[in-house]
Amino acid sequence: MDITFEHVTHVYGSKTPFEKLALDDVSLHIPSGSFTSIIGHTGSGKSTLVQHINGLLKPSKGTITVGDVVIKAGAKKQDLKSLREKVGFVFQYPEHQLFEETIIKDVCFGPMNFGISESEAIKRAEESLQMVGLPASLWHRSPFDLSGGQMRRVAIAGVLAVRPQAVILDEPTAGLDPKGRQEILGLFKSLQERQHLTIIMVTHSMDDAAVLSDQVVAMKGGKPLIIGTPNDVFIQKEKLRAAGLDLPETMTFLNKLLERAGEARTIPAFTIDEAADAVVNLLNGVRDHV
Amino acid sequence: MEKIIDVHDLSYHYAEEQPDVLKKINFTVNKGEWLSIVGHNGSGKSTLAKCLNGLILPQKGTVKVAGLLTSDEEKIWAIRRAVGMVFQNPDNQFVGATVQDDVAFGMENHGLPRDVMKKRLVEALDLVKMSAFAQSEPHRLSGGQKQRVAIAGIVALQPLIIIMDEATSMLDPEGRKEIIKTVRALNKEQHLTVISITHDLEEAIHSDRLLVMSDGEMIREGTPREIFKSTELLHKVGLDLPFAIKMRNALRAKGVPLSDTALFQEELVDELWTLHSNM
Repeated sequence: MDITFEHVTHVYGSKTPFEKLALDDVSLHIPSGSFTSIIGHTGSGKSTLVQHINGLLKPSKGTITVGDVVIKAGAKKQDLKSLREKVGFVFQYPEHQLFEETIIKDVCFGPMNFGISESEAIKRAEESLQMVGLPASLWHRSPFDLSGGQMRRVAIAGVLAVRPQAVILDEPTAGLDPKGRQEILGLFKSLQERQHLTIIMVTHSMDDAAVLSDQVVAMKGGKPLIIGTPNDVFIQKEKLRAAGLDLPETMTFLNKLLERAGEARTIPAFTIDEAADAVVNLLNGVRDHV
Repeated sequence: MEKIIDVHDLSYHYAEEQPDVLKKINFTVNKGEWLSIVGHNGSGKSTLAKCLNGLILPQKGTVKVAGLLTSDEEKIWAIRRAVGMVFQNPDNQFVGATVQDDVAFGMENHGLPRDVMKKRLVEALDLVKMSAFAQSEPHRLSGGQKQRVAIAGIVALQPLIIIMDEATSMLDPEGRKEIIKTVRALNKEQHLTVISITHDLEEAIHSDRLLVMSDGEMIREGTPREIFKSTELLHKVGLDLPFAIKMRNALRAKGVPLSDTALFQEELVDELWTLHSNM
């Protein structure tokens, strides 16, 4: 399911003293089945951008196309229900939205809300809970007896049980420990690779954006500053710095080493292993010149 | 070195039939020190923090703060005044309608005279660099700014110890840097004792000492350099490693003859550069 933004502008508090231009003429294409990360400083328009994808916000100008649903500025009577069934949204701290008596009931809530029968909803809930790796022995317990990381998985299972074609993640790992973080990110990467789910992730972590994404969108002042593969985006260090964004840690490290060697170039390397290879090459390469 | 906190054989469980979440914990904190407590989610870090200002009382063992037992009901308010806590969520700890109201709230609770409050308010906001926002409403502030206001509210009470319970984990990278800088200045310049409970190992490597918790037990204690010398145990208990350590290990695995001392990126760069110059 492709997602396309054409000249989308969004103004908050239009015609009030608090009027604020949050998105400024954004055009963007998110291919079906891809992993796209949205990076940007706080207030750069990241969250505003993704909230248009499932119709939580409507554009002040422009058009958004999500699969066969078209949302146009000013148009009335749009089919937002079917849009929200297709596009799941995992908000920040989604565990705050758990409310049911048991975990399984909580996960069933989403699909049943979209008119799925109870027996089918239970089937889907069980599938989703398995996907997020929550042991069956816990399914009939209260979600409030779980740890923070487990509660977040239940909340994510609730989104997946609706069987969306695309999922928006707003800082999905905030507040988790490193192990919990790797598990959640690994889950979404495998859903994208195996089930061809389209993933759109808002993140402050340049490392996650660099390692996981097919496409990175760097936002500044309500506009995409750079759109491209992690390689395309992260070699533009000056532009990123101007937008208040860092490089992935691996590249920051390589830059320090390159600076020491008096070299101005930038090496795109996103995993520890890639960076270590680059260091080895650099050591050998520099030695060859001497 | 003067001990400001002394924890002896501390055990705690939340309900009778449940296992101990803290198991015979022993440690001391030196006055003026920056101590980090690291461990996975559910390792008992936050429960431990709540024991240090008497929000939770030990079921076995003792906790002494500035020589006072937390189990002594008559001393509990003196202890809470000595130990300020900054929690995780900036939005849950803002009570005032403006920044200055919020900072004054704690002082009002402690019944400080008005002229003392006015003086300390100015000083506290200055220390966290929020003086320009004294009249601002909370929703006009970033997460990092809100946490700085929370810190000002604590500083105004002139505590001996400040405990940060994952105080930076909900902030963006910039907010995180702001808070670390603020608290480091309080530690170095005002000699405030800092205990930081954190997942952020890049923050933890800057502290004077580290405690590592796993499943309610304190499994390691030492300077960051000692702790990160051998990394297998840390890996086993589900902790990540600081970037320089991961990089150092990866390079050693590829045959680069590095020592096991570098803790900061700059040190690793230095070592690699020396290595290359000697080749």
